[in-house]
Amino acid sequence: MTSRRAEWNNFVKGMIFLSPWIVGFSVFTIIPIAMSLYFSFCDYSLLEAPLFRGLENFRTIFTDGIFWRVIGNTAIYAAVALPLGVFVSLGCALLLNAKIRGKSIYRTIIFLPSLVPMVASAMLWMWLFNAKLGLINMALRALGVAEPPAWLADSKWAMPALILMSVWGVGNTVMIYLAGLQDVPRELYEAADLDGASRFEQVIHVTLPMISPVIFFNLIMSIIGTLQVFAIPAIMTGGGPNRSTLFYTMHLYDNAFNFLNMGYASALAWVQLLIVLALTAIAFWSSKKWVHYQSK
Amino acid sequence: MACLIVPAVALVLFGPRMDDGVPADRVVVDYWEKWTGHEEEQMRELVDEFNATVGAEKKIFVRYVSTSSIQQKTLIATSAGVPPDVAGLWDSNLAQFASTNALLPLDEMAAAHGITESTYKPAYWRACHINGKLYSLISTPAAVALHYNKKAFHDNAAALRAAGLDPDRAPQSIDELDAYSKVLEKRTPSGAIASAGYMPLEPGWYTVATCAYFGGRLWDPATNKITLTDPAVVKAYEWVQSYSRRLGKDAVGEYRSSLGNMDSPQNPFLSGTLLMEQQGPWMANYIRTLKPSMTGDRAEDCDWAAAPFPSALPGGKQTAVLMFDALVIPRGAKHPAEAFEFIAWINQQKNMERLCTLHCKNSPLAAVSKEFLTKHPNPYIAVFEQLASTPDAYTVPQIPIWAEVDDELATMTQRLTLQNVDARVALQESQDRLQAKFDKYLEKRRARGDQAALAQSLEQLTASAGDSRDTKAVHP
Repeated sequence: MTSRRAEWNNFVKGMIFLSPWIVGFSVFTIIPIAMSLYFSFCDYSLLEAPLFRGLENFRTIFTDGIFWRVIGNTAIYAAVALPLGVFVSLGCALLLNAKIRGKSIYRTIIFLPSLVPMVASAMLWMWLFNAKLGLINMALRALGVAEPPAWLADSKWAMPALILMSVWGVGNTVMIYLAGLQDVPRELYEAADLDGASRFEQVIHVTLPMISPVIFFNLIMSIIGTLQVFAIPAIMTGGGPNRSTLFYTMHLYDNAFNFLNMGYASALAWVQLLIVLALTAIAFWSSKKWVHYQSK
Repeated sequence: MACLIVPAVALVLFGPRMDDGVPADRVVVDYWEKWTGHEEEQMRELVDEFNATVGAEKKIFVRYVSTSSIQQKTLIATSAGVPPDVAGLWDSNLAQFASTNALLPLDEMAAAHGITESTYKPAYWRACHINGKLYSLISTPAAVALHYNKKAFHDNAAALRAAGLDPDRAPQSIDELDAYSKVLEKRTPSGAIASAGYMPLEPGWYTVATCAYFGGRLWDPATNKITLTDPAVVKAYEWVQSYSRRLGKDAVGEYRSSLGNMDSPQNPFLSGTLLMEQQGPWMANYIRTLKPSMTGDRAEDCDWAAAPFPSALPGGKQTAVLMFDALVIPRGAKHPAEAFEFIAWINQQKNMERLCTLHCKNSPLAAVSKEFLTKHPNPYIAVFEQLASTPDAYTVPQIPIWAEVDDELATMTQRLTLQNVDARVALQESQDRLQAKFDKYLEKRRARGDQAALAQSLEQLTASAGDSRDTKAVHP
């Protein structure tokens, strides 16, 4: 009896200490998520009480031409920016992991851009991509390209410009890869050396399998990140020209706060969650074939 | 432990309080406004004066808060039941907010303060009403005029005369505007646009209103139909597109991306890379601040001038594009009567003229003092006053889904100018998309049990559209 009471007392004390987190998480996360699920079935503008409309918002989503446009834009962005980001950050990490002089300076240089505030980065890149005065086009002209692209002002080039820019902030990912690379046991390289493996073969057969959990972690984070891309295109292009850079989250935001279609926006948010869940599930399923954990 | 807790509790209970400057015996009216910088400071001058005079007498204190994204913050605060007492919204927000019952009608309070139809210039008064109810009064308004570089006209006088154009006046028709523009534009040896005469997409804020100069309307309130395929609207957008077709879409894209910000010496009108553009009366302030060499105290001393924007209406009839900053009382405001005292005070001629002089804008009021016209910082204020008095002037269409219409038209304009899509085809596609959205909106309103309200508003709108069809042909 006494031990049960002591257990109960411990439980109460534990809950009291946990309560700030529980209350905060419930009020600011769980309840809003539950309400957004309800709103996704409603006509709701924020200014009037929600009116239950069944599946209408979801039916509207799939018949809305702009929805398919933003799905296409987001898919293209994710399909190119995601592997490009993984490739570039992994490549940088491998180079920075090599035994070279001034390594810490290079690491700092690679990491620095990720410290620049997002808005400042966007403004900087808007000038770099400026069709007439931008450094990129000046360099292209110097290289003999008579008519370089108008980048952000051209619906064909705005998306590639944003994808190129996405590589600018890989510093954080590079650092995570570098940490993973430090953990690869030396003896594996020594064994590969003895077996006559070249540097390239060592990367393919030792390094990549050994850091595959890190690659997997970054992949999952990148899937979520690229499918939620918002701030940079919102600042640099506003979704234009001609909706060529209008991404899913921007469309959602417009509907929620500019068009006052909060119910429809909630439905969009749930569809987005399902898409992210499905892609993450596929990534987890595929990870069985290519992610190797040292403990196994 | 107790020696720490006791003083801490005592400090919380009896310690010093932040002084928010609100006298104890006053009703506090919270006023959220969108302005920052000079415009915020200038409005604050008036708020302070109100607090020191009428406010002190009537025991009202206006607490003025400058806030960005005013419509979104007002929206969220109103939905949460804690709105400000007065919000300074954009004119484009009115129909959206009013249609969701988020604003208080002001008719009775306005009448009680003697503010009636005759107080305002007719187009502004009409634009403050949604479905026959007064939902807003005005803090500052604007009329849009053609600004042109007089010096460039004189420098190119011979070429203009050779083309049969008068270098001493502004173009008076759309055809003339095109002709002036062709003569004035300069290209580099590589074919890039060094300076443009006129560019419909610059600054781009008024492109959506272009149809007004062609006699078109974007929405017919009598039938609740969006009318983008109205021949006059099609003609307007074909004209907008004609510039990128003639100059080349790549050349236009490159030219536009090289233009500086509005609030910088690289502003294209100030730097001489754009010789004619549409702007509001505030442009005089920008010119004075950023390029004083272009301006003088009198119109004759200025290197620039403002004139009514030319139209393609029959007989060369003039029209105007008007806009305004709206003062509204959100639903749920704690002190609506006191809030309206402040709004009414701002709308007194003396105070309104003071604010509009400080902001370098025209007045929305029917009565304008001689002093306002003579002491105004814009030497062309008479032009703006004349435009603002145009009874059938264009104001933002009062369609509840205007935000979506505006977004769709901006995208459609990009398609016209970047992809050379046929204007008729692009407008038809936008028409279909927007009409479907608007029909869905109306259906949702019916589902909310708004049939009576809809029928009533439709009746009123039909009646008012019928009454004014002859005189308000260009008002979308």
